[in-house]
Amino acid sequence: MNKPVLGLVLGGVLGALDGLSALVSAPEVAPGITGIVIGSMGKGLVAGLLIGFVSRKWDSLAVGLIAGTAIAGLFALPIALMNKNAATGQPYFWEIMIPGSMVGLIVGYATQKFGSARSG
Amino acid sequence: MHTEPDTRAPRVFPSTRESLVRAFTSGDPGVRRAGFEALVAAYWRPAYAHLRLRWHQEPADAEDGVQEFFTVALAQEFFSAYDPAQARFRTFLRLCLDRFAAKAHRAERRLRRGGGAVHLSLDFAGAEQALEVLAPGQSEEHAFDREWVRSLFDGAIEALELECHADGYEIRFEVFKQYDLVTDGEAVRPTYRAIAERLGIPATQVTNHLAWSRRRLRVLLLERLRELCGSEAEFQDEAVTLFGVDAA
Amino acid sequence: MSPISGETLRHLQRVLEEPELEGDRYRLGPLLGRGGMGVVYQATDLALGREVALKVLRPEFAEGAADVRFRREAQILARLEHPGIVAVHDVGMLRDGRRFYVMKLVRGARLDDSSQRRSLPERLRSFLRICETIEFAHVRGVIHRDLKPGNIMIGEFGEVLVLDWGIARVLATQPEEAGAAPATSPAAGDTASGTVLGTPGYMAPEQQSGQIDLVDARSDVFSLGAILRDLAAESDPAPRPLQSIWRKAMNPEAGDRYSSAAALAADVGRFLDAQPVQAHRETWPERAGRFYRTYQTAILLVLAYLTMRLLFLAGRGF
Repeated sequence: MNKPVLGLVLGGVLGALDGLSALVSAPEVAPGITGIVIGSMGKGLVAGLLIGFVSRKWDSLAVGLIAGTAIAGLFALPIALMNKNAATGQPYFWEIMIPGSMVGLIVGYATQKFGSARSG
Repeated sequence: MHTEPDTRAPRVFPSTRESLVRAFTSGDPGVRRAGFEALVAAYWRPAYAHLRLRWHQEPADAEDGVQEFFTVALAQEFFSAYDPAQARFRTFLRLCLDRFAAKAHRAERRLRRGGGAVHLSLDFAGAEQALEVLAPGQSEEHAFDREWVRSLFDGAIEALELECHADGYEIRFEVFKQYDLVTDGEAVRPTYRAIAERLGIPATQVTNHLAWSRRRLRVLLLERLRELCGSEAEFQDEAVTLFGVDAA
Repeated sequence: MSPISGETLRHLQRVLEEPELEGDRYRLGPLLGRGGMGVVYQATDLALGREVALKVLRPEFAEGAADVRFRREAQILARLEHPGIVAVHDVGMLRDGRRFYVMKLVRGARLDDSSQRRSLPERLRSFLRICETIEFAHVRGVIHRDLKPGNIMIGEFGEVLVLDWGIARVLATQPEEAGAAPATSPAAGDTASGTVLGTPGYMAPEQQSGQIDLVDARSDVFSLGAILRDLAAESDPAPRPLQSIWRKAMNPEAGDRYSSAAALAADVGRFLDAQPVQAHRETWPERAGRFYRTYQTAILLVLAYLTMRLLFLAGRGF
C-alpha cells in the first residue's frame, strides 16, 4: 500500500477511534458522539493523507514522526480551543492536543515504516 | 668439464619405487639388509636427536643407544611388524625407539653386542654439532621430525653431488652449492653474477644450472621419501612435513 | 659432507616448493597458503601490471590423479563465472612440469576469522550469498564437496567468495529438471567409490562413508547447514528457528534435507524478514514474540497513546 493511501486509511481509523474514546474520557459528550466521531474521522482522513504525502516526499523516519505530530497537532488545535469543559469553562486543551498529536505520530511512523514508495 | 647447459630435462616427478618398509618382509636376506641400511641412513640422526633431547642422554650414551637400537631392531625384526594402516612409519619407529629407551633406562644396562650385530659408522660428531636445542614450546617430536627432514635432504644432496660428478656436470652442483648451500644467511647469499664470475661462466648458465639442480634435488628427495613410506597416502602426508616442518 | 644447517634447510624447503617463474609472465610474491594439493602464492602479472594469485600443484603429487584433478579444478573455476567464485585468468605448466593456474587475488578474511565482529543479520546475509553461489554451481552440475568456514572468504569490499574447488565434482548429466531426482552419475576422471574427500564435521554422512554415487547437491546442503550452525551459534543462544533450519539441512537422510541451496536460503531469508520459517513449527508464545518484534515500535506507540488517554482519565477522576 503506498504511503498516502496508508496514511488515509490509518488516519481515518485512528481518528474514528480517537473520537470514540471521548465516551470514556468525557462521558458528558455522549449525546453528540456521532458528530464527534465523524469529525474526528474526517480530520484523521485529511491529516493522514497529508502525512502520507509528506512521507512519500521525504523518505525519512524522523521527518515522518515530526511531520505526523505537527500536522495532527495543527488539526487538533482548533478543536482543542473550541471545546470547553461545561463545568469549569476551561478548554480541553491538553486532553485533545496530546492524544491528537500522538495519533499523527503513529500515522507518520506507520507510513514511513510500512508504506511503499511507489503506488500499489 | 662440461660448460654447455644440459639439454636433458630431468625427470620431474619421482618414479614409483618399491617401499623399503616392504623390504623387511622380503624372503631375501639381501633385500632385507639393503632396506635396513637405507632406513638407518634416514633415521639414525633423528634417533640420536630423540635420545639426546627426549631421553636427555649424554652424547656417548645416545651414540651407543642408536647403535644398539638398530642392532636389536634388525635382530628382532621390529619393522616387519609395521602396518601402514595404523600409523606413519616415522611415528612407528619413534615409538619403537621410545620403548627401547624406556627398557634400557629401567634396566640401566647396555645390551650386549652379540655376533652378527650391526656396527654402523655414523658421523655422530657431525650430528651433535648440527643438533639444535628445542625452542620454547617445541616438542621432542618436533626435534625428531626436524632431524628426519634434515637427513632426507642431506641424503638427497649427497646423491645429487654423486650424480653430477658421474655425469661430468660438476659445475651444476658447484653452482647449487655456492648459492643454495650457503650457511651464513640470506643477507650474504652471493648474486648470480658473482657466482658466474667466480666460476667463469655466463650468468644465464647460473640460472639454468641452479634450476636444473633444484628440480633434480626435488625428484631425489621425493624418491627417498617414497621409499620410506608404506603407502601413497602416507607419502603425500609425509611430503607435507618434508616441506612444511619448521626447521627452526 | 656435514649436515646442512637449519637455515639452509629452511631455504631449500622454500625454494624447492616454489614455482620456477624465471623469465615468465609472472613474478613470484609471498606464499599465501597451502591447500589439499596446491600451494597458493601472490604473484605479479608483468604483462598487465596487476597482482594475482598463482596456485601450483604441490611437488609431491605425481602426474596422474592429482594432476587431472588440479586441471579440472581450473576448468571448473573458469566455467563458473559468478561474483562469488574467484575468476581464473590463466593456466599453464611450469618448467618443472607442475601445472599452475592464475586467478584474481582476493584480499579479505576467512569466514571463521571475520564472524566475531559482525552482527547476526550481517552473518546471515553473508550466508545467503554463499547459498546463492552454491546454487549457481549446482544448476551447472558442479558440487563443491568441501564447504566449510575456512573455504569462504569475505573480501575487502564485503563480497563473499567460495574458494577451494579442488575436490568439486562435476555431474555428467545435464542440470536436473525441477522436481526430478538429483543426478548422481559421475563424470570421467571422478573419484573412486570408497574414497573419503572432505572435512570432518562438515561432510555429509554419505560423503563420510565414501558412497560417492550418493553425493549430490544435498551433500553440499548438509555442509551449508553446518556453516549456518557455526555462524548462528556465535549468538548465544542461537534463535530456535535457525536451529530448526540447520538441523533440517544437516539431516542424516539426504531426502529429509532441503532439496537445494536455494530452498535453504529461502528459509533463512524468511527468518531475516521475521516471517515464519518452514523448518520450524512456532509455538504461540514464539509467534506472539515474533509479531511483537516486527511491530515493536508501532505497538509501543499505540500503548503510549492508550496510556496517555488513561492518565487523562485518571486525572479527571481526581
